[in-house]
Amino acid sequence: MRKILAPSAIAVTAALVLAGCAAGGSGGKASTGSGTKAGVTLTFLTFETPNLTAKYWDDAIARASAKVPGVKIKKLVAPSADRVGYAKQLAASGQLPDIMIAVSPNGFAQAGQLAAWSEGQLTDFVSPHANPVGGKVYQLPYNTQPTPFVYYNKADFAAAGITAEPKTYQDLLDDSAKLKAKGITPFVVGGGGKDTWADMYPLIGAVATDTYKQTPGWLAQKAAGTAKFTDPAFTKAAAKIADLAKAGYIDAAGLSRSYADDEQAFRDNKGAMYPMGSWFAASADAKAPSFGVGVFAWPSDDGTLAVPAYTGGGMSVSSKAADVPLAQKWALAFMLDKTSLDNSVKTDGSIIALKDYTPPAGMGPVYTETVNLYQAAVKANGIVNAFSIETGDGSMPAGLADKAAAGVADLINGKKSASGFGSFLDAEWTKANQ
Amino acid sequence: MNTLTPIRTGPAKTSWFRPVAALLVTAVFFLPLYLVLANVFKPGADITAHPVSLPIPPTLASVKAVLTRPDHLFWYGLVNSVEVTAISITVLTIVSAMLGHYLARAKGVMPKAALAILLSGLMIPPSVILEPVTDVLRNLGLMTTVPGLVLVNVGYYVPFGVFVFMGFVKTIPIELEEAASLDGAGRFRTFWQVVFPLLRPASASVLIFLGVWVWNDFLNPLIILGPETGTTVTVGIYRAIGEHQSDFGAVFALMFLATLPILVFYLAFQRHFVKGLTGGATKG
Amino acid sequence: MSTTLAPPPRGETTQRPGGAPSRRRSTRLPKALHFLTFGAPGLAVYLVFVLVPIAMAVGTSLTNRNPANPPTKWVGFLNYTRLFSDDDFLKSLQNTLVITVIVTVVANVGGLAIAMLLDRRGKLYNALRAVFFTPVILSSVVVSVIWQAILSDDGLLDSMLRSLGVKHPPGWLSNPDYALYSVAFIITWQMLGFCVVVYLAGLQGVPQELMEAAELDGAGPAARFTNVTWPMLAPALTINTVMLLITGFKAYDQVQVITNGGPGNGTTSTVAFDVVQTTFTGNHIGYGSAMAVVMLAIIAVVSTVVLRVLQRREITL
Repeated sequence: MRKILAPSAIAVTAALVLAGCAAGGSGGKASTGSGTKAGVTLTFLTFETPNLTAKYWDDAIARASAKVPGVKIKKLVAPSADRVGYAKQLAASGQLPDIMIAVSPNGFAQAGQLAAWSEGQLTDFVSPHANPVGGKVYQLPYNTQPTPFVYYNKADFAAAGITAEPKTYQDLLDDSAKLKAKGITPFVVGGGGKDTWADMYPLIGAVATDTYKQTPGWLAQKAAGTAKFTDPAFTKAAAKIADLAKAGYIDAAGLSRSYADDEQAFRDNKGAMYPMGSWFAASADAKAPSFGVGVFAWPSDDGTLAVPAYTGGGMSVSSKAADVPLAQKWALAFMLDKTSLDNSVKTDGSIIALKDYTPPAGMGPVYTETVNLYQAAVKANGIVNAFSIETGDGSMPAGLADKAAAGVADLINGKKSASGFGSFLDAEWTKANQ
Repeated sequence: MNTLTPIRTGPAKTSWFRPVAALLVTAVFFLPLYLVLANVFKPGADITAHPVSLPIPPTLASVKAVLTRPDHLFWYGLVNSVEVTAISITVLTIVSAMLGHYLARAKGVMPKAALAILLSGLMIPPSVILEPVTDVLRNLGLMTTVPGLVLVNVGYYVPFGVFVFMGFVKTIPIELEEAASLDGAGRFRTFWQVVFPLLRPASASVLIFLGVWVWNDFLNPLIILGPETGTTVTVGIYRAIGEHQSDFGAVFALMFLATLPILVFYLAFQRHFVKGLTGGATKG
Repeated sequence: MSTTLAPPPRGETTQRPGGAPSRRRSTRLPKALHFLTFGAPGLAVYLVFVLVPIAMAVGTSLTNRNPANPPTKWVGFLNYTRLFSDDDFLKSLQNTLVITVIVTVVANVGGLAIAMLLDRRGKLYNALRAVFFTPVILSSVVVSVIWQAILSDDGLLDSMLRSLGVKHPPGWLSNPDYALYSVAFIITWQMLGFCVVVYLAGLQGVPQELMEAAELDGAGPAARFTNVTWPMLAPALTINTVMLLITGFKAYDQVQVITNGGPGNGTTSTVAFDVVQTTFTGNHIGYGSAMAVVMLAIIAVVSTVVLRVLQRREITL
């Protein structure tokens, strides 16, 4: 028996000693001073990506805390890039963080779990009324992300004899045919592992050009019950994706690629076009692929610009935070910090939506081209909502975006027709509201 | 598992077929494990280029990178994992040995009913009742604490512990206990000095299996410990997949390091555990 | 390995007639105290952290509890009637059963076959056994990452097939027709070694004399297996089946890490996965609780039946 008891005793002792030394630290930066100075400790949910590293967050937190005395920030890190899902899990188990960044307020705001931002706090923002819930804004609208633009491999286009970027949807189909004839898969998509959402981008593009451009408030009509996903206004967009897959322009095999593998596949030349959010521009500039990268907007039938974009991405504050005004003050300080904004531009390709902000000099060619394309769309009045990414009144109920991404996989796999996809979404919408 | 007895003797009839077949089958089975082992000791660039090649010359770069991460992900996780696992399985072994013994020996309807209820919980997936469990923990003020997670582990796994211990207790002649009590030993002393030492194989099984399960658990620590109390190494791996998916060296090294402690633990206890699982029925 | 329906403990069957009085003397502590010290601690924790949550789940399942959509109201059995016309849930239920059956059958059969192959003495066989057991102690998150690297479309297996000239190798994880079986296969691979080791212990417990006697009686290898070996493996079969059922029913990690329930809508979603998605991500706590209750009812029936059947077999030995 001693043989078992001895190791157990050692293990328990070791555990207790270890626990005494560092009671389960999480890498948070909470304790900087001893408890002499009374301050409020607030939790802040972040997420890490290859670009947004632990150091990036720690430095940004330190800068904000320097401006707002009396706040101690305890950094929390979401276990995957799906910080929204994680925040939901935390909320459901009663541990919603005090401050969160880039977490869609959908579901949280309606449940009264978030504190609204006041007009006075939003004066510096370009679109202070973006994506309101019940008329109030719950997430600081600090940047705009066109989602998606189509990034493409210039070498592949040249090899297929394509001389100009496609202007109309027919151009896109013709170019895809040329690429395919050369043995090049036209589109790279993802959606494997935890990252089912990565398969959404072609559909978001098509919904922008074929549904939202004609009826900007289409989804609100659906929410109000006057439109359905089986209406031609929507199925036309879905059918485009199904047809692209059927023609072999989107390789269904990509559905097993995680988001990271998705980008890697484009870099490894597994396909010529990569419909992705504007954040890819930063990645392409920071670590240039072996080929030149160009960018165009998902083309509409007649060539008018319709660019899906989402403005938001900033901080939300829990209505149950220990000190809501202070938490909001800190969150604003974090958000408006010039260095942090510059970093966000450089690492995440953000298009900052703040008045009087100018991006740092020397940004790379792909980012510059991305911003120019976005500005052109703004001038042409061609900005529309990004399907499934939009939040606020009249947007999808919580959890439906995940279902939509799962349904798109069926659309690409040929398991669902466009109308089948539509009735699936209608059914899931009803279910989500039960 | 080198002490399984008795080992069959006598000359093999077909001398070459069995070892060759055994080697082939094992090799195929082993390939996925080889992938991890080889790539832990390879420079990052080689992993995507030559995933199957041998790591020659081997490098510790990936392992070092994980151990020296500035946010101490591995070390903080290790502290939590060791703490939660050690306390959980120690408590579980004691509690389920006593409960298993009690249920094996006690007479009457109530113990029988208790046993039936306990065993119907043997196959409950933890995730299915996770939400109400967090409600209970919150009401007790134990949410996001190590004791809370430990108690949840004990509750979940006590049926398995009882299942193993009870089967084993029944192989121990009751006369032994009677003899001890005739000598004047109380119930506690009889149990700890006479019975428990005989339960060694069962204790080994329970320690190993629950150790492995608790160590490798992913959803419970993720939700119950929560982000403020910190992660465990297994949650750390999950986190690393998203962060570094393109950096397989880091992911494999973290997986390797996270597995090492539980592997050592298994090797320390492996002598008797199979016998413990199949009870005295597999006459060893 | 005897539990509810076990035969009387071996010790008692051989009990001498005079055993009873001595037993009474051993009961120094009164019955209640015996229960409080030995029985109560474990049962209390089980009560608070398993039974109470189950009772709460049953209660919640009769409401529309949803933090995003207050107030919470009683809805009776509405969630249940809805469940049985919910294709997504029925699919999850079906997937769970498919995974559980595949894992239980394949790992048992494969484990026995490999155990018989490895049933020899020597360092070689000891080492091979250890190899088979290693995946058992790995985290299923680790196992998932390994197999994802092998089975994804840019993964090792398909790269190999492509280099062998296969133009369009199967999408093991991306094709909705294969993904569920891939997940079941991965879980089977992880548990196979467990069965191997337990069956080996069983095989090595078969008395040599019994085999020799059967051989003298003219029994061929097949007859010796069915009449001598197989019955002796009853306890091993019990423990393997119980462990595999536990593993199959709780399949969550692999789904979460490898497929996220996809490809497509719920092609690999399990009940464990569906419950977490519905309650935590979808906010439908009432509805998710109804799913949990249905799953718990199924498990209670299966575990009772399985334990009963398997142990009856052991008793007839």
